[in-house]
Amino acid sequence: MSEAATPLLEIKGLTVALPEGGDRAFAVEKIDYTLNPDEILCIVGESGSGKSVTAHAIMGLLPKPDLRIAAGGILYRGRNIVTMSDAEQRKLRGHRIAMIFQEPMTALNPLMRIGAQIEEALTIHTDLDRAARTARVVEMLAAVGLPNPEEIRKSYPFRLSGGQRQRVMIAMALALKPDILIADEPTTALDVTTQKQILDLIKEIQREQRMAVLFITHDFGVVAEIADRVAVMRHGRVVEIGAAEQVLNRPAHPYTQALIGSLPHGRAGDGPAFVPEGEPLIAATDVHKVYKIAGTRVGGARTLVVSDHVHLTIHPGETVGLVGESGSGKSTLARTIVGLVKPDGGRIDFEGADLLSLDRDAFRPYRRHVQMVFQDPYASLNPRHKVGEIIAQGPVAFGMDKAEALARARDLLGLVGLEASAADRYPHEFSGGQRQRVSIARALAMEPKLLIADEPVSALDASVQAQVLALLAEIKTKLNLAMLFITHDLRIAAQICDTVGVMKLGRIVEIGPAAQVFGNPQDDYTKALLSAIPGQGWTPPAARAEGVS
Amino acid sequence: MFNRDFTQAFLRNKGAVGGLVIVAAIILLALFADLLFPGDPWDMAGAPFGHPFEDGLLFGSDMLGRDIASGIAHGARVSLLIGLTSTVVAVLVGVLLGALAGFHGGRIDDAIMRFTELFQTIPNFVLVVVIVAIFTPSLTSIVVAIALVSWAPLARLVRGEFLTLRSREFVQAAITCGQGNATIIFRQILPNCLSPIIVSASLMVATAILLESSLSFLGLGDPNAMSWGFMVGSARTVLRQAWWMSFFPGVAILLTVLGLNLVGEGLNDAFNPRLRRKRKA
Repeated sequence: MSEAATPLLEIKGLTVALPEGGDRAFAVEKIDYTLNPDEILCIVGESGSGKSVTAHAIMGLLPKPDLRIAAGGILYRGRNIVTMSDAEQRKLRGHRIAMIFQEPMTALNPLMRIGAQIEEALTIHTDLDRAARTARVVEMLAAVGLPNPEEIRKSYPFRLSGGQRQRVMIAMALALKPDILIADEPTTALDVTTQKQILDLIKEIQREQRMAVLFITHDFGVVAEIADRVAVMRHGRVVEIGAAEQVLNRPAHPYTQALIGSLPHGRAGDGPAFVPEGEPLIAATDVHKVYKIAGTRVGGARTLVVSDHVHLTIHPGETVGLVGESGSGKSTLARTIVGLVKPDGGRIDFEGADLLSLDRDAFRPYRRHVQMVFQDPYASLNPRHKVGEIIAQGPVAFGMDKAEALARARDLLGLVGLEASAADRYPHEFSGGQRQRVSIARALAMEPKLLIADEPVSALDASVQAQVLALLAEIKTKLNLAMLFITHDLRIAAQICDTVGVMKLGRIVEIGPAAQVFGNPQDDYTKALLSAIPGQGWTPPAARAEGVS
Repeated sequence: MFNRDFTQAFLRNKGAVGGLVIVAAIILLALFADLLFPGDPWDMAGAPFGHPFEDGLLFGSDMLGRDIASGIAHGARVSLLIGLTSTVVAVLVGVLLGALAGFHGGRIDDAIMRFTELFQTIPNFVLVVVIVAIFTPSLTSIVVAIALVSWAPLARLVRGEFLTLRSREFVQAAITCGQGNATIIFRQILPNCLSPIIVSASLMVATAILLESSLSFLGLGDPNAMSWGFMVGSARTVLRQAWWMSFFPGVAILLTVLGLNLVGEGLNDAFNPRLRRKRKA
């Protein structure tokens, strides 16, 4: 942490050129920052800010020939990596500088045993004999907290979960005791409880070995959790750099302020608590669904319980949140309610009619009352249709005149904050956030009574996330919609939901008013989830200001 | 789909443009055959065994004195007609069955795919010969026979595309909007898998022309239509005395198939920009 020490890594005026004809000429432009021994430097920024490009430049991973270093240097202990020969660079890479990646599921070779993959680096960079290498592998696997290191050494990647694989990646990176560890969004693909474990592990190993860690992330919670210093990037430039405490609590640059301001504050709604009145709009009773997975290897067929006798009611005007980790069955439940998945048993009553007992034709009139906004804004709009057409298709299917439906589509685009002229353009001309607005307009075109939003903002950047959430909240109030909101991000759920259900392994383990679930959790799993939210020790300055006023 | 990027990408590919020129020339030849070579190509036009340029005949005459150039021009009609119609029929059948199998999955998929495999396991050419022989050679029976052996691979291709596209979120959104199966298949999914269909259709035309030529070579062509395969086949006995009789129709077949294949490749590259870039690097 000592600022006086000579920097381990120094990025000096680094400029990486993009191929001609792109949105901008440079991926990163005149980047300067230093990485000192024994510190964690977080590079934070939204997608496209160039935060990964710098790290890839350090590791020599820039995709050739599209990206090339146009100017500047990367100095490792005073020696410029950029001008080194390939052989010298290779010696440095993996040995002195190691990297872990975002996607643990694809970063390991599926056909090689774990031990052999870790050993590779040892074989290349050291002259240890076989027994010593094996001992080192076992030692590393134990160091990253994997149970039965001896057994894991001999197994193949498919036997390991995502979190375990990320631990293996870390073990691999640390096998040669590097000076610098570059971590490119290492926890983004993981569940929140696993994320916490990995963050703790990285922090612990960093303190123990006094390495320098360059940690790339888009999540300010993670920054607050582990950073010593923070660099904020935007459009390929570093806009602000400083000690974590200072950047997080007293951001100087307007962009940093805006970014921090757009974070979900994670406090339950300020308004009066929602009081359910009258009959529920929709009531799911005893819904269960089991997937059978055909067995291919020894062990035969497995079953996967995705809905384990679930009960859920939603009242008109209520926002119900379902939170849980991946595989907890929250999406399946949503898809069951909207009629995309047929459950094995149970009832789903919509205004008194049991939807599950209806056949295809009888079910059709109910379709328009329950509409869905999907997670991936890039996959949920047909690339071959114009936006106006996409929005109009639903009403046309229910017999509305095409011209009238198109006219309404234009009105709806206005409602979701897009220009009416957007109707004549194709989805690929829009950004992720804009596409998600189109997706919302499409759902609203059916004049639904219940809107199901399945992770509607998890593919979006923080600032866009805030806009889309605000839009959803506004529309919900304006049209008095009931909403089922599915998310893995508890901060978002706390912010916009009246009622929150926590799902685990196909069961709702706890359900109640948001303030109660988050303020006074009863179930152990809820408590574990809540304590795993990164950056709890830090309250964004904007939120504090609000709290005071 | 055929926007400016696509056109530019296609035009950058020299082979594809060359292929397009060849195909266009053959089409023009077929269209204006009656103007260029008036009269029946089966009629005598000069002395038998005339060398090229003798008696004013460009490519010479065959053993009955028929004009070979006229035969090639009129044969282009038959070749293109059979190639195109059989491909259209095969595409209709293949796309429909593939779409149904891929969209519905489960038992329907199983049934359709086993039926498809039936056709894929029988050697193509043998089946064509048997069908044409049974139903007596005519334009219709040849088209049907060729279509019958060509649709199976396309059905598999379309099924694969539908299987992946079916689970995409825009399809699920269409379901929740209450759109019917037919709408979803034809309006939502099919436009998204047109490019591989167009590419394989362009290659299928070439295969169909080759099949038709092979049939005519064996004497199983339509006896009323002058065709390239027939010309090669009938002239093979005098190949050593009169090379030009089989040479020029053979070149016509070669050029047409080459042109169509180049166009198909060009379409494929233009539809898949990423592959195209990789090739350049």
